[in-house]
Amino acid sequence: MNMPDQTPAAGPRRRVLSMLVEDHPGVLARVSGMIRRRGFNVHGLSVGPIDSRGRSRMTLSVDAGHAEVDQIEKQLDRLIEVIDIEDLTDEPNFSRELALLKIEVPSARQADLVAAVNDQGCRVLEQGDRYVVAEFAGKFETVEEVVNLLRQFGTVEIARSGPVAISRGARTK
Amino acid sequence: MTGAEILLEALQREGVDVIFGYPGGANLPIYQALPKFPGIRHILVRHEQGGAHMADGFARASGRPGVVMATSGPGALNLVTGLATAFMDSVPMVAITGQVDSMMVGRDAFQEADVIGCTQSVTKHSYLITRVEQIPEAVKEAFHIATSGRPGPVLIDICKDAQKAQGDPVWPQDVSLPGYRPNKEPDLSQIEMAARALSSAERPVILAGHGVILSGAQDELLELAERAAVPVGTTLLGIGAFPVRHPLALHMTGFMGTGWNLKAVQDADLLMMVGMRVDDRVTAKLDEWAPKAKTFIHIDIDASEIGKNVRPHLEVVADAKTALQALAPHLGAPPASRDDWLTQIDRWREEHPLRYAQSNGHLQPQDLMIEMYRRSNDEAIVVADVGLNQIWAALWWNYARPGLFINSGGAGTMGFALPAAIGAKIARPEKPVWVVAGEGGFVMTAQELSVAVKHQLDINIVILNNFTLGMVRQFQDDFYGGIRSEIDLTEMPDFVKLADAYGLVGLRIESADQIPAAFDLAERTPGPVLLDCRIDPDANVYPIVPLGKGLNDFWELPDEYA
Repeated sequence: MNMPDQTPAAGPRRRVLSMLVEDHPGVLARVSGMIRRRGFNVHGLSVGPIDSRGRSRMTLSVDAGHAEVDQIEKQLDRLIEVIDIEDLTDEPNFSRELALLKIEVPSARQADLVAAVNDQGCRVLEQGDRYVVAEFAGKFETVEEVVNLLRQFGTVEIARSGPVAISRGARTK
Repeated sequence: MTGAEILLEALQREGVDVIFGYPGGANLPIYQALPKFPGIRHILVRHEQGGAHMADGFARASGRPGVVMATSGPGALNLVTGLATAFMDSVPMVAITGQVDSMMVGRDAFQEADVIGCTQSVTKHSYLITRVEQIPEAVKEAFHIATSGRPGPVLIDICKDAQKAQGDPVWPQDVSLPGYRPNKEPDLSQIEMAARALSSAERPVILAGHGVILSGAQDELLELAERAAVPVGTTLLGIGAFPVRHPLALHMTGFMGTGWNLKAVQDADLLMMVGMRVDDRVTAKLDEWAPKAKTFIHIDIDASEIGKNVRPHLEVVADAKTALQALAPHLGAPPASRDDWLTQIDRWREEHPLRYAQSNGHLQPQDLMIEMYRRSNDEAIVVADVGLNQIWAALWWNYARPGLFINSGGAGTMGFALPAAIGAKIARPEKPVWVVAGEGGFVMTAQELSVAVKHQLDINIVILNNFTLGMVRQFQDDFYGGIRSEIDLTEMPDFVKLADAYGLVGLRIESADQIPAAFDLAERTPGPVLLDCRIDPDANVYPIVPLGKGLNDFWELPDEYA
């Protein structure tokens, strides 16, 4: 008998789903309820309105080290308020995440930190006695790296937007 | 018009003429408006769960959506089991629940519950209505969603202030649901390949599920099976999709399926699954299921069912009827070896017949089923509960067509049978209706007897009473080393007296020779009749696949009991 593929892809792999949804109260609960029921771990989620017709784009990043991950796309598509769903994981795409970081740093190391921040393509938003606030936007894998690097300077408070993604090329949805 | 009147008018526009319901604080405005709508018959239930099962039985018997109504909080929460039952079995239903005033939602008001949240995973969709203007569109969409594509229950939760508010209804002509596209045309290249594979297979088997019945594809299935010379088995909920006494019939498949069905599935080189979920009760141990099948074809209207448990080689996302109609013209002549396959199946049918313990002096449940079926003229509806009674009713009636066997298959809800039979009888008053239930499940919703009495519904209730939780007892005996734990139901009411207390006729059957006279009386008596049948306490279901094993390992009735 033919069972769904049980072998997870090598290493942890994230699947990026891009959804066009109706902007109703409760849509997020329906989407997250479906994901919870199938036991997927959500790594990132972002939602924002895209037009005046009451539609939103939802970008969802879930753990793909799971045999039933293909099924989640179909099950989400089954939700009445999900207009369209696309798996961007293997599609050429642009993906970005915004991170805001507040780093506690002794005055003596502030100059090093600002240099590191600039070096990584971050932007300093505010600089005070013993702290720096910076922003960084990039691919979400890169955000992870930058956060880890800046952590070396001191305690970091982080706010991340969750991923947003869009496919490459002329095709639009 | 008030919101409550708009709601009832909207229901009437959807063709609703029966509501099963229970009033309370948060739906009082609807109940105040109800007398103005004489075209809607309201059935006052005794518990909201019963109301949900009645709406479910109504829908299964008639093909029209069933409607149930409850108040907020506990009233609405009592619907949850009934919604889950309908959701698992793809039954079209609309539930209308009262909700506290919109300004009070979320503040833990009296009898407030987050009904949308609590029912989200057991409904196809749901609406929270806070303003009167939302009502016409929500009702139209709810009925469209409940009845189209893969059917299912939809819940409308209406705040009390929206029920009371005045409004000028604007009746929508169409629904606008950009994310809902239920009618999918089958992929013709997959259809052609499926037809070729089915025609040329040496040992093909078709398995038919509830989807065949829901789409009314039984004629297409019969024609296809006969033309292509392919044997057909059904799931529990697919019973009736293919006539049981047809020479190509394999009867029920799965964990408690017939021996010749399981032999055929395990030896098949091709399996075509139509309108079914391929769940664990069908496959038993999944990696031992259909080991010789080189080709799996899966037809289902719900794309998310395809590949969920078994990844097919060919998949067709479409309504069963559309798909089978598209398949038929592409069928070729079966290979000469097909005769050998059909002969082999006939041999299995002879070698592994359904058997039961006929001569141990006890009343056997199968004797009751055989006599009920004999009297049914292929017209009567039987509504079975859950447990051994369910499988006896499934296997021992030779169902000739869809709609005669009603059962909670996916959810396996004990207590389903009596209320569902009430709903079925209200939907199809011209049909004889039988209930088959164990005493355990029966008492879970027995209060609905009052509804059957009040409306003098001509229902014959057969309680297969063994004073034990029979299926659990069999599992403990067969698969848990015979350690019997918490299955004793000796302390049960005297069902004949119970019938008397509720105001219906009750009779006891203790031996096979009492069956004909008792059934004669039941059939002659107008209104409901309860038959307390004291069956063999050790009667089991066979065949059965031991828990955790594959279909190959099915057990049959031991020879010494036959």
